[in-house]
Amino acid sequence: MLLQQLINGLTVGCVYAVIALGYTMVYGILEFINFAHGEIYMLGAYFGIVFLSLFTASGFAASNFPLAFALTVLFTILFCSAYGFAIEKTAYKPLRNAPRLSPLISAIGISIFLQNYVMITQGATDKVFPQRFGDASFHFMGASVTGLQLIIILASGLMMLGLHLFIKKTRTGKAMRATAQDMTMASLVGINVDRIISTTFVIGAGLAAAAGVMVAAYYGLVNYSIGYVAGIKAFTAAVLGGIGNIPGAMLGGIVLGLMESLGSAYISAEYKDVYAFIILIVILLIKPAGLLGANVEEKV
Amino acid sequence: MLRLSGLHTSYGPVKALKGIDIEVREGEIVCLIGSNGAGKSTALMTISGVLKPDRGEIEFEGQRIEGAAPDKIVGLGISQVPEGRRIFPRLSVLENLELGAFTNNAGYGKKLDHIFSLFPVLKERSKQPGGTLSGGEQQMLAIGRALMAAPKMLLLDEPSLGLAPIMVSKIFKTIKEINNEGGTVLLVEQNARAALRLANRAYVLESGTVKLHGTGEDLLHNEEVRKAYLGE
Repeated sequence: MLLQQLINGLTVGCVYAVIALGYTMVYGILEFINFAHGEIYMLGAYFGIVFLSLFTASGFAASNFPLAFALTVLFTILFCSAYGFAIEKTAYKPLRNAPRLSPLISAIGISIFLQNYVMITQGATDKVFPQRFGDASFHFMGASVTGLQLIIILASGLMMLGLHLFIKKTRTGKAMRATAQDMTMASLVGINVDRIISTTFVIGAGLAAAAGVMVAAYYGLVNYSIGYVAGIKAFTAAVLGGIGNIPGAMLGGIVLGLMESLGSAYISAEYKDVYAFIILIVILLIKPAGLLGANVEEKV
Repeated sequence: MLRLSGLHTSYGPVKALKGIDIEVREGEIVCLIGSNGAGKSTALMTISGVLKPDRGEIEFEGQRIEGAAPDKIVGLGISQVPEGRRIFPRLSVLENLELGAFTNNAGYGKKLDHIFSLFPVLKERSKQPGGTLSGGEQQMLAIGRALMAAPKMLLLDEPSLGLAPIMVSKIFKTIKEINNEGGTVLLVEQNARAALRLANRAYVLESGTVKLHGTGEDLLHNEEVRKAYLGE
């Protein structure tokens, strides 16, 4: 029972963590919360349905489902990254030097726009993910883990590891960290800051998109408003881990998923969405900077 | 090599530069002195492209550069060590230096060895986060980072500010060394005496205009300069 809840919690937690990375990366560089980020996840779920339906209709999904699903995820990431890029250029970049509240309002505007755009074009009712994964599952020590759960956990883990290595080791990753620490100085060493910001949005959107497809496959149902709750949860995960801190977002997401799953199983499933926020309040009371968000002392 | 003509820059309604003309020739050390708010840092930030001038021209090696993006200007060969050093505190010393070479990675290993020979302490501390260095070490790192771009011209903003006297003379010695190796330097300093001794030529800025200019030697003996900036 406990092990089963841990597996379920880890699955959901990985998804929160992957979405939370987008919030925390953008916050790290621009110090604003991209409230439209949850909608990218929602778009990812819809694009997933669109592409997989196309592959199903053409018979390709029936002949080679794993490849069809992999291509669905890939195309979804590409399309959503384009959305992330376009949103930054149109809604946030013109407000770069505006008061801090302006991009926040702009983000809320984009969020409302995207929800309604999907509702009008796709309808207000739930959409069904075209092909459910088989029920094949692995049993051990009284718990079972489905193939899809394994895919979600492994894929999320790989994405997080990939992002971590990218940020730590590559030239662009180092430039991203430099930009997050001092944007003007980053430009003075020759970093094209606009390009770094675009890259951040593209990566964040790509991760949210992948999370969207995986969740659509996991729950089987998608609706235009799913980005709201997922966005708030992932944002909570980012704050829980320490906003602006990338390992923090990963940890925060997983802690949140586990707490939700354990709370639902041992206390009451009715309050599933409440646990996240109780934890957030408790952590922020004890450690206001978040789990890993240490305030680094800086000499000037 | 670098020529500012009739340069005006403002912060919103505040006019910080009101038409300055400054020239820096290849191989020179040129110094800007003046009190707080005279427009010295504004001049450097405008050259680097962080601030956009209202009007006027900046010409570098015959090319107009006013209003170009900062990363383009670094690419042309002008690097700045800004006021307050502004090293990246949570990047290691080595990563700070690596980013210095962001636009110009050619000869990376050789440049790095050169920086480590100028400032051996940076080698010892290469794995440490930049923010854990002392003020003087941070200044060395900031200069090292700028040199990693192998710039044709180095802009230095108050490199001696807040440093112990022994560190100040070390920094000034390094500036002289950079110059001896052929580097052109535009230096902003509050420490007017040391700066004027070092400089080939100097400009005195006051409320956004050039009040005086001449060789470092001339200004060192100028009555007005002695009163206003050398405390005599």
